[in-house]
Amino acid sequence: MEAISYPKLGETMYTHICKNGLTVKVVPRPGFTRKMAYFVTDFGAIHTDFELEGKFYHAPAGIAHFLEHKMFELPGRDVSAEFAALGANVNAFTSYDMTAYYFSCSENFMESLSLLLEFVSTPYFPEESVQREMGIIDQEIGMNEDAPDSRVFEDLMQCLYKEHPIRVPILGSRQSLRAITPDLLNACHRAFYTPANMILCVVADVNANEVAALAEKVLGTQKKPAGKKLRHWQEEMCAEKQVSHGNMEVAMPTFQMAFKAEPVPNGEAAVRAEIVGDLAAEALFGESSELYLRLYEEGLIDSSFGGGFESIDGCAMLNCGGDSYEAPAVRTAILEQAATLAQEGIADADFLRMKRSAMGRRIRDLDSFDSMCFRICAYHFSSFEYFDFPAVYERVRQEEVLEFLRRVVTKERCALSVIDPK
Amino acid sequence: MQQFHLSGGIEFYSFRQTRFKQGALSIQFVRPMKKEEAACNALLPAVLLRGTKRDPDLRSITLRLDDLYGASVSALVRRVGDYQTTGLYCSFMEDKFALDGDEILAPMLDFVGELLLEPVTEKGVFSENYVESEKKNLISTIETEKNDKRVYASAQLMKILCRNDSFGLPRLGEKEDVEKITAQNLYDHYRKVLSESPVQVFYVGSAEPAQVAKLLTKQFEKISRAPVMLAPQTALAGGDGGHVTEKMDVAQAKLCMGFVTPITNRTADFAAMQVMNTVFGGGMTSKLFMNVREKLSLCYSVGSAYYGSKGVLTVSAGIDEGKEKIARDEIMAQLEACKNADITEEELIAAKEAVLSALRTIHDSPGAIEGYFATAALSGQGMDPQAHGAAIAAVTGADVARVARTLCYHSSFILARE
Repeated sequence: MEAISYPKLGETMYTHICKNGLTVKVVPRPGFTRKMAYFVTDFGAIHTDFELEGKFYHAPAGIAHFLEHKMFELPGRDVSAEFAALGANVNAFTSYDMTAYYFSCSENFMESLSLLLEFVSTPYFPEESVQREMGIIDQEIGMNEDAPDSRVFEDLMQCLYKEHPIRVPILGSRQSLRAITPDLLNACHRAFYTPANMILCVVADVNANEVAALAEKVLGTQKKPAGKKLRHWQEEMCAEKQVSHGNMEVAMPTFQMAFKAEPVPNGEAAVRAEIVGDLAAEALFGESSELYLRLYEEGLIDSSFGGGFESIDGCAMLNCGGDSYEAPAVRTAILEQAATLAQEGIADADFLRMKRSAMGRRIRDLDSFDSMCFRICAYHFSSFEYFDFPAVYERVRQEEVLEFLRRVVTKERCALSVIDPK
Repeated sequence: MQQFHLSGGIEFYSFRQTRFKQGALSIQFVRPMKKEEAACNALLPAVLLRGTKRDPDLRSITLRLDDLYGASVSALVRRVGDYQTTGLYCSFMEDKFALDGDEILAPMLDFVGELLLEPVTEKGVFSENYVESEKKNLISTIETEKNDKRVYASAQLMKILCRNDSFGLPRLGEKEDVEKITAQNLYDHYRKVLSESPVQVFYVGSAEPAQVAKLLTKQFEKISRAPVMLAPQTALAGGDGGHVTEKMDVAQAKLCMGFVTPITNRTADFAAMQVMNTVFGGGMTSKLFMNVREKLSLCYSVGSAYYGSKGVLTVSAGIDEGKEKIARDEIMAQLEACKNADITEEELIAAKEAVLSALRTIHDSPGAIEGYFATAALSGQGMDPQAHGAAIAAVTGADVARVARTLCYHSSFILARE
């Protein structure tokens, strides 16, 4: 067990790699009642193509999310009810590039952790329950189809990308779900739910050694081979299509726009690229930017406007959105402002203030158990220790931010998705 | 918790906590929930956040927050039972994490004082430009509620269920009332709110409570106050029920059902009703989830909510078109099971543990501390999390059945496909 302390943040991180290959990270929270554990695989909705045991798979869209739903079943047992009896609140989510299972509780932590490790590592997919699940996910798809925020983003991804599977909704479609079988679910589980492919992150007032020992006890010490993801996505640095229009039952038009950026590398470069992207967003259209004020005062945007930098396996983008009657005018203004900033630069004092503000918000965010677990896991998969972020802020230079704006915020790289009222 | 009665009838509640990275402060002016002023109360903090004498526009406001290490200030408009609050909520990094001994709390309180008491004025009233622009924002917020079909359907049910009670009014007021607001009448309302309203201030953080009380007093001394007491909270005023169907182009229908009970968070059986609500429709082990979703695959989302300040319980479900009758019947059948004490030991324990776990962890987040105590103080609930937990722990299956029997079906709303 390795312990690193971060005195500036008042945090200590314990890390241990188990014999089975699982990474265990524990952040102690002395004096807190709440305890939280995240058990995460870096297998998400976009990883439908993979190689396992010499065989190539092209799994149906939506399988990662379907698998997440089905994990909650154990032979003759109701996992949710067992967590509930322990007083723990269990849940899961599937994103484009990871699937997370987590619980929070105030008591019975070790028992709950044992149950979490057990159910996520136990594949059990009886045919009739796979069939029944389709009805439930059909309903979830229906709910999603009525949600303008999801629609506008999914439309945007189809504009921005040509091949990358972020074009496909995380839930898949009613049609793609029908191709899911117990065998395919088993293959995904064997490929990506092996301990060496996963991370267990705990934020709680617990002993880190006991957590690691329990993980080896439940998951065993044997190292199993993992599947290999196939990423043959060729993306040019331009938007596939510039505009998408849809109609829904919305009160006023809503939009999302994005500028395609190069995928971020691994390690410190990953977090550095992300911080540069965040600062670029802040400088360009953040709440304290000149542009935000102008657009707000002219009524082109309102308080629903927001944006930032997003990084997903194999793709990255600067995006923003909100409710507006004049989304194309917002796009024009953003492009012009990026050119101005890139040319004129940012005053040193302003740049420092921006960095300090962004760092302050990240430090405040450490109070949230959920957010801390999520970030530790996400950065782990890009080989970075999350608590190192203050040092990266210190190192980021203004020129990197300007270079990012110059390179990324261009007409060719921009796609705009608008949903108008019916 | 330490409570201070500051001069001018300001109630200050301070929670000293040294283990968070951030502190939280809320300042709430308490108003009666009324159609005539709900929209004004919702608009007021948005206009105040547009500028002060010292920082007269949005950009200088956000730059000042950036200087305070990315602190945030937002409008806080709550509806708790018969009351509506208007005010501000702030989060800010604790001083100890700042560089070179910078201070955050003290300048933050100065800033909040300026926001509340020194707004930008033109000809003795608010800036017309700011008022008009924030009216547009508020109308857009009210109208975009329709985008989330579940929220929209629940709000429509509340209008039917509470047609004789202020609880049926939307938290942010209605569009027609926002449209009537002018810089003059909003400013008059603001002066009235400052002088007449009871004020509640909550602080969670590492600073000495007496020190914070001193800083607050310095701000509030600038105004003269003559607080007017509010009428105590009431249970739902009765009235006829009804059913409304609204057609919209949606993929999934939303069914909402409303029930009334005399049990509120001011009565003895409050804890039992909270457990009842959780057994019935709270979370993944509830009767509704297990039967309506898992067993019958009738829907993706289904759950119940209990509004303790009013004595109202609602059920909402996203269902397939044509499944309305069967979903309705199953919901009623599950409620009947609760009334008949058809509740397993596992269901009871799971429900109690869920409520207890939430209560035990309140002290683990500044926002949760502020939220619990502010809502409790406003709604007249006289329990702290510890006493509340003890009351939950004592609830039996018979208690759950007994309180379930007080629930009367009242109204429903369905948002259906055209």
